[in-house]
Amino acid sequence: MKAVSRRQLQELMAAYVGEPEGLPPLDADGQAAFIEEYFEAGAPELKVVFFACNLSLRTLSILLKGRPFSRLDADEQQELLNRIIASRNPLIRGIGVLLGLPLLMSYYRRPEVALPLGFDPKALKEESNLRVVTRDRDLPPKQEGPE
Amino acid sequence: MILGPDEVKGNVSRSADVVIIGSGAGGGPIARELAGEGYSVVVLEEGGYFTREDFNINPTESYMRMYRDAAQTITLGIPFILLPLGKTVGGTTTVNSGTALRMLRPILKKWHLTHGLTDITEEELNLIYGHLEEFLFVKRADPEVAGKVATTFMAGAEKLGLSCGWLPRNAKECEGFGSCVFGCPSGSKQSVDVSFVPDAVKSGADIYTRCRADRIKVVGGRAAGVTAYFLDPMTGRPSGQRIEVEARVTVLAAGAIYSPYFLLKQGLANSSGQVGKNLQIHPATQAIALMDEPLGPPKGIPQCCYVDEFKGEGIMLEGGTVPPEIHSLALPFAGRRNASLMTGYPNMGIFGGMVSESDSWGRVVDLHRPGYRPGMLYMLRGRDVGKAKAATVLMAEIWFAAGARKVFTPFAGHYELSGPRDLKRLERSRVRATDIFGMSAYHPLGTCRMGSDPEWSVVRHTCESWDLEDFYICDGSVIPSSPGVNPQLTIMAMAMRCAGFIDDQLSAKT
Repeated sequence: MKAVSRRQLQELMAAYVGEPEGLPPLDADGQAAFIEEYFEAGAPELKVVFFACNLSLRTLSILLKGRPFSRLDADEQQELLNRIIASRNPLIRGIGVLLGLPLLMSYYRRPEVALPLGFDPKALKEESNLRVVTRDRDLPPKQEGPE
Repeated sequence: MILGPDEVKGNVSRSADVVIIGSGAGGGPIARELAGEGYSVVVLEEGGYFTREDFNINPTESYMRMYRDAAQTITLGIPFILLPLGKTVGGTTTVNSGTALRMLRPILKKWHLTHGLTDITEEELNLIYGHLEEFLFVKRADPEVAGKVATTFMAGAEKLGLSCGWLPRNAKECEGFGSCVFGCPSGSKQSVDVSFVPDAVKSGADIYTRCRADRIKVVGGRAAGVTAYFLDPMTGRPSGQRIEVEARVTVLAAGAIYSPYFLLKQGLANSSGQVGKNLQIHPATQAIALMDEPLGPPKGIPQCCYVDEFKGEGIMLEGGTVPPEIHSLALPFAGRRNASLMTGYPNMGIFGGMVSESDSWGRVVDLHRPGYRPGMLYMLRGRDVGKAKAATVLMAEIWFAAGARKVFTPFAGHYELSGPRDLKRLERSRVRATDIFGMSAYHPLGTCRMGSDPEWSVVRHTCESWDLEDFYICDGSVIPSSPGVNPQLTIMAMAMRCAGFIDDQLSAKT
């Protein structure tokens, strides 16, 4: 079972990730697949919490903006999300934080996104492969001296 | 040998002198010491075995393969605190920062006075620490490979005249691939999986991986071994194969969260009622700086320097750089605001501040969650919130002294600091635990604490259970209170002591 529908997930991705200048666009399918995998690997409650947070966000949208989240324009969505994250009420803020966890991770983990930011794990790995670190110790050279 | 479920055919029944549950900072050293003395040793490790070839600097993949619950383990309370726990051969040491510090001297005095642990002397500990430091190639981080985030932060701290330095680390010839907490790809970090475990195996120890201990066999008031089951590497669910080990001595070393959980599930070794209680952690906060010039994260040593000016007040600053996917989560913004800051990732540095001596206590409980998962209850008390704020203010001050244009903090109402005025506003404000955007913590301790009073402690100073003969507990859970610094070296030191007592016991009975 998916935590949220594909359409809603895509909508959340777009709202959370924004459009970082100079970085690749969203890969909705690839990121959604990762999010599913991430939920599978983790505590089963996370998926339920994600589902509940999504529902709460949509309820808050109606309460605070008078319209469903999907009917807000991009600016209004941004305003709502940051208002939630800036809330001093931990339960409301938690909605924003928990939703963001898999969404942001799924985007910035992509090599084509990380590379322009200067993070190149492939190159680092290749460089590290050239290193040979053993547990051998360098012994001090033998001293020559009188018997 | 290190044996995964694929190498084991059918159910296994065997005997050994010692069976150890867990191969981390507690179990690893005990396995090495006792196997080296010629005892037959079997280690049961729930995680998989990974080598440097597997450590591919992919944070999310590491979380999913080498951490419990994909590093989503959180404490329940206010605030929710992320408490990542390793699950591999080598335990959390395989995925920690490699900081190797001795415990603070006044803490040992506190252990003597409060917990009656006068048998643990400073002289003895120093001898063990010295031995461990040599064995693990502990030396201070090399500023040449530390990375610009660290050198910039240190320059700021020095400008303010704060006590600071390079951290001692168990890393040999480290060249700063920025990946300690995802597994060291160069083999530099001397975590238990590359130090104690290979020696133990060379001396004949058998390590069964993806093998979850189920029960301790109790016969006539003594621990007589362990039954366990193997886990399917793909699903993490029981594969149907079992192992039964009869042993003269049983050691529980599953860490400060899973050791008490294991005991609570079985109702063992808890006449004191202290199992699972007294959970101490090191809650951590962070300050992210936006600089004018690139800092080039995350190349370098993620955690290589410290500011200990206020260690006496329970505040230690220990640095960290993180890859983009983690960095984006630390920023207290969503959408375009997050995106515009993330495009400045190369110009950003992150540093961590930890409440190294905390007044808050939590407990590990069995909440009957699905799977094999304990509950961790923890409330951050007011004084510790104050320390977290003080640490953040200090880090922000240092970043500004180092030339930061802006600093981002996790305190609601103070997410973005543009200069000294904002800093003063944060300093003067009264923050609550509920104001913290996102908090992480490390180093769980104390849930099976050692002591001299069987009514207030779970094990003796030797790590032997008060209740059950031939049964020892040795991991972070026996450390009665925070050592004031990262605890891996202290846990290892306790494990070395414990191995000595087990050796005495076994040789006396032979």
